[in-house]
Amino acid sequence: MQNIISKGKNLKEAINIGLNLMDVSKKEVDIEVIQQEKNGFIGIGRKEAIVKISLNQKSSTSKSDEAKVMNHVTHTSEEIVEILPIDKDGEHSTDVEGLSDERNSSFFQSGDSQLEGKAWVNNNKIYVKDSPFHYPTVQIDKGVKLYKNGMEVQEKSTVISQNDQLDIKLDESSEKETSWQVSLVENGLKAILKVDPGFIVNHRIKDVDPDKHIDLVIEESREVHNSLEYEDVLKKLQDFRVIYGIQHNEIVQAINAVEPGEFVVAKGRSAHPGNHGWLDLKVDVNSMNGLVEDESGNVDFRETKFIPNVEKGQVIGIIYPPKPGIPGVTVTNEPLPAKQTYPLKIASGRGVIEVGDKLVATESGRPFIEQRGHLVKATILEKLIHEGDVNLSSGNIRFIGDVEIIGQVEENMTVDAGGDIFVHKSVSEADLTSSKAMVVKGNVINSELNAGKNNLLIAELGHLLGIMNKQLDKMIVFIQQLSQSPAFKSNDFSITGLQPLIMILLEKRFQNFIPYAKQYQEVVEKGENHLEEKEWVQIAVSLKQIFINLSTQVTTIDQLRNLSQKMKELSELSETPVEPDSYMAVAQAVNSRLYCSGDINVIGKGCLNTKIHSGGQLKVSGMVRGGEIYGKLGVSINEVGSNSGTKTIVSVPSDQKIHITQAFEGTLLRIGNKTHLINDKKNHLKAYLNQENELKLESL
Amino acid sequence: MLKYTTVEKNDFLLVSLEGDLDIEGTEVVNEELIPELVHYHSINISLEKVPFVDSSGMGLLISLVNTLKEQNVKITISDVQDDVFEVFELIQLPEILGEEVFI
Repeated sequence: MQNIISKGKNLKEAINIGLNLMDVSKKEVDIEVIQQEKNGFIGIGRKEAIVKISLNQKSSTSKSDEAKVMNHVTHTSEEIVEILPIDKDGEHSTDVEGLSDERNSSFFQSGDSQLEGKAWVNNNKIYVKDSPFHYPTVQIDKGVKLYKNGMEVQEKSTVISQNDQLDIKLDESSEKETSWQVSLVENGLKAILKVDPGFIVNHRIKDVDPDKHIDLVIEESREVHNSLEYEDVLKKLQDFRVIYGIQHNEIVQAINAVEPGEFVVAKGRSAHPGNHGWLDLKVDVNSMNGLVEDESGNVDFRETKFIPNVEKGQVIGIIYPPKPGIPGVTVTNEPLPAKQTYPLKIASGRGVIEVGDKLVATESGRPFIEQRGHLVKATILEKLIHEGDVNLSSGNIRFIGDVEIIGQVEENMTVDAGGDIFVHKSVSEADLTSSKAMVVKGNVINSELNAGKNNLLIAELGHLLGIMNKQLDKMIVFIQQLSQSPAFKSNDFSITGLQPLIMILLEKRFQNFIPYAKQYQEVVEKGENHLEEKEWVQIAVSLKQIFINLSTQVTTIDQLRNLSQKMKELSELSETPVEPDSYMAVAQAVNSRLYCSGDINVIGKGCLNTKIHSGGQLKVSGMVRGGEIYGKLGVSINEVGSNSGTKTIVSVPSDQKIHITQAFEGTLLRIGNKTHLINDKKNHLKAYLNQENELKLESL
Repeated sequence: MLKYTTVEKNDFLLVSLEGDLDIEGTEVVNEELIPELVHYHSINISLEKVPFVDSSGMGLLISLVNTLKEQNVKITISDVQDDVFEVFELIQLPEILGEEVFI
């Protein structure tokens, strides 16, 4: 290369770049300034410095002579300035000297002309080939360190040249050790080995083909190295005293694992659950479930007439004792007890006796079996058929069995049945209560209907007891805590009992307790006739004595504990569902209140301004206009609200859905504690809460 | 056995209780202390020398404060020992009597 035109920010840079590229010293060249640099004003009008550098003939012919001269003048910068008068900055000749690099220049000579001005990466090394017109640039990615002439490049990208001494440094290859852990889970039924195999991470620079701009990118390769040994696992299992059910093939899989995983390295035998005592019924006990629509939507009122019957002396059912479960074994060879099984508790009522393991009817009538948890109630219900209407001349009807009324129930009359109630005609301004099912074929006007009263009561009382029980437990803990305070004297407990303390506690700390206790009293007093288990009433008496009347009777902490225990049992009992639950079916209802612990079915035209509470599913085949309806297990209605925008409230708990075929404005949907008011007519509506607890409407 | 001393300053009466505030103090508080205190406008009860309390004693204190408040007597309780105050706080006595009573 005889001459070169070089550009730079200033003359010095232009010359340096030129010399660099030609791989010669200043001594060996003639330099001609083509254009002086101009800085301009804040960058406007800036011009680069341009120089033409040509090899002077003498130096190219006798390079060795020149070298001598060069050595001679090496350290006198002034002379260089003289030789190169354009170099105003006083360039050090040592810099010029350092530019000659045998490796790079030989590569340059042997290089392909296509590579000019390009850089490439091969086997973790970076190569550059210069061109007079272009400098390759390189982008440095995270984790890569590029050293140019011994200095780390701080910028993200830089210009490189063949004459630079380029070194790449990478993050050290890192190693992660295998981690593993043995744990016993499910009460010792299983031993789990968690393995996270170790690995070595190697870094290298990705090879790059020659290009004007290249990226230095790290390539990471992982080499899995699972160092877990069979003996390690066995030893750990020994430490845990695992001796039963060791799974050797799982251990082998674990030590060969390349991915993190869990292995069941020992398995015990789980306990086999037994059966609770149960009753095998030998007779049909369920009456038909009310008025049911057939496929074409018709209702056959005759179908409800089917009522099961038993004769005197007939065996109703056989009681089977509980079957205990088989205990299991843990991996440490300890027995794993099976869940305890309970025998049935039979409460045989009227007309039923227990003979050995059999339940036998002593009277004819409808067998009635109700089961709640382990408690089974069996009675034979008689049936009262009332021919004609219930009015002042017939008097109120109260009967422990089923009641069938052929006529209607008139104003201000009461019908109270221990079994089912079946009314053939209408009910107006009356009060009907049944412990079981209720069917009214006619209209229900201005009346109050309760079906499954017993269950409703128990649900309500159970709820109250649950709340009070929690508070009482806290109170007991609190009294114990207080007794341990250094400045507290508990010797008056023996004289006055806990009364003075309870009085203070009810004042503030447990101030919510009294309202609940009073509410409980009221509910019990109202429904006393329907409560078959007397424990509910006993608790009411205790609550009254201890908390409400604050009698002078001495109360001890043991009494509180007993009370709490009883409350807990009853509260749990109230949560177990009864079987069979009651149901209610009416044709249509106006200005009435319908309560049922089970399903409610309104079959006729629907209901107007009626309050409905169903402990099961609520289904209305007609319309609902005004009032408030609730279905604990969901609501489905054909038509709700009206064109005039009558306010109608439809509610279900948070986990249930509302289905409406046609909804008019003024309908308020309430799901859990979220509400939605319907403003315009909607068809085929489905409302529910989604997982984010938002009320969702789906309209088809 | 609970005892008390009083120091009178104009309309203000300083009462110092001494001994355990317990069931045995019922008579002293109900029959002597309360009838005497209702004649004053402003009263402070010092519990500095009361090392122990029981539930009856706290009941007495509540009825004492409430009776006097009904008579529009301004009443405060001071110098409660730490252990005793701990018991008071457990049963939320300050909330029952009003926070301003304890100084």
